[in-house]
Amino acid sequence: MLEPVELNNIMIAVIAGAMVVLLGALYAFTFAMGKMNKKRWLIGVSYTVFAGLAISVFTLAQSLNLNGYWQLVTYTMLLGYLLAPQAIWKLSVGTHRASD
Amino acid sequence: MNAGIQESSNLTGGQKLAVKYYTVAVVLFVAQILFGLLSGLKYLQPDFLYEVLDFNVTRMVHINAMIVWMLFGFMGAIYWLVEEESETELVGLKLGNLAFWVLTSAVTVVVLVYLFVQVGPAEMSTIWFIGEGREYIEAPRWADIGIVICLLVFMYNIAATFMKGKWSGISGVLVLDLVALAGLYVAGMYYTPNISMDQYWWWWVVHLWVEATWEVLVGCIMAWGLIKTLGANRKIVTTWLYIEVALMLGAGILGLGHHYFWIGTPEYWLGIGGFFSALEPVPLVAMVVHAVYDSGVHGSKNSNHPALAWLIAHAFGNFFGGGVWGFMHTLPQINLYTHGTQWTTSHGHLAFFGAYATINIAMFYIALQRWRGNVYMSAGLPGNGWKWKWALSLLCTGVVGMTMALLVSGYEQAFVERALGGSTWAAYFEAQRGTWYVQGMYWRQIFGYVTAAGLVLLIWDLLTIGLREKRSMVVPTDHVVVTA
Repeated sequence: MLEPVELNNIMIAVIAGAMVVLLGALYAFTFAMGKMNKKRWLIGVSYTVFAGLAISVFTLAQSLNLNGYWQLVTYTMLLGYLLAPQAIWKLSVGTHRASD
Repeated sequence: MNAGIQESSNLTGGQKLAVKYYTVAVVLFVAQILFGLLSGLKYLQPDFLYEVLDFNVTRMVHINAMIVWMLFGFMGAIYWLVEEESETELVGLKLGNLAFWVLTSAVTVVVLVYLFVQVGPAEMSTIWFIGEGREYIEAPRWADIGIVICLLVFMYNIAATFMKGKWSGISGVLVLDLVALAGLYVAGMYYTPNISMDQYWWWWVVHLWVEATWEVLVGCIMAWGLIKTLGANRKIVTTWLYIEVALMLGAGILGLGHHYFWIGTPEYWLGIGGFFSALEPVPLVAMVVHAVYDSGVHGSKNSNHPALAWLIAHAFGNFFGGGVWGFMHTLPQINLYTHGTQWTTSHGHLAFFGAYATINIAMFYIALQRWRGNVYMSAGLPGNGWKWKWALSLLCTGVVGMTMALLVSGYEQAFVERALGGSTWAAYFEAQRGTWYVQGMYWRQIFGYVTAAGLVLLIWDLLTIGLREKRSMVVPTDHVVVTA
């Protein structure tokens, strides 16, 4: 069920893991800034950053041998990182509008 | 109130009790750093204090002092806010004071036993009177029972105060969390000779306290802190507290599984732990959106610069320490090589400091402002506020430096000891002698001294900030400047 990371891939896995979270934050940041300032180009940048995030996730998946069941983890991560910031944006607008 | 003069009459009963908790918290913070430095030194000079204060003792005091000072800080913070939040006097103040002295005396006795008795025979009497040998919560059984009783008294005081006064969204979440805080500690007292079962329950305390109940507690303190320092809209803050708690608990509870990978639990924990651990950073990332939204939509005047700076340090520290450093090695495919190495220590240092020490320090500053007569603590403090700024910089630099140094050592350890050496004793010692490992340990010690310097400066600032300041605090405001 579990195939440990190969020795040569440890560094790649570590960097890819860190990049997933950092690019996730950068995607969320650029997405929110784009929405906030109504800048379409920033939204475009955010999706470019997300593409980088997707590359990081697949690099991580490859280096950590995420096969079989573990592919579910890969795709759930991708979906979570893509949709959570968008959902939070909708909630932000909604909650602030409700309180005004 | 006279601004700039420290008077107990400025405080309510609950706030006076909170100050006592804060005082002990700072003393234990000093103990944590002191014994951390001693432990670090032993990596460089293994003979140092050998058979007087061995590594196992100094490390035990280092990590237990950390857990307890943070707990004291949280209890202080809750006592600090409870009367303002409930709009009534604290119920059971005398009982609360009694519990404080019982808890403080118990902690003192336990530390003295750690230092002077240290170890005992492999009998139940050792578990009862010397130490349970469970990392992070080594307190002997009698002290464990005392801790649970004190937490129950604390929970009663807080719940009864809200019942007598006014409930709010923050107080509802807080009281439910306190039930879990006291209840989960009991899981760490279950004794069984089966080491897998023992570890299974022990992690309930360590993980579910730290990544569930403490996170929620911090969420409540943060929510209240934002209302106080920024004048944030209560309705919005409360709504977001609910959302954050749901997200944190959604991934955090079963994220517990990442501690069950290698302790002899069934294999399905690999899948459960891996899946939920992979999702644990998502809420942290998503919350960036809300931070951007709030900073853009709301123009705020804050009343307490040092407190706000530490709250910001908390947000970043939690993200990097918990999110980035945690996720780097959380999946079992890599955790097989990294768990229990200095890599874990690296994550622990940044996460505990970033998520918990920072918010406690922010609350110290909020308390001092009131204690010193709602004194001015915004921009333009005497000396441009150099003490708090340097304390913040030194503490953050020190902890980040230690984190990086430990990561280097941990990386070498994961390679040499685990991946190449197969976790044998010989491989363990070979890794300890490695150049990168040793250099990492030297750098960790240097940054430990930087952290200690930051702590000295922090205490100096806590003792002096706002004294003789004649200006009164800026009233925090929160107003909408743009609409999205």
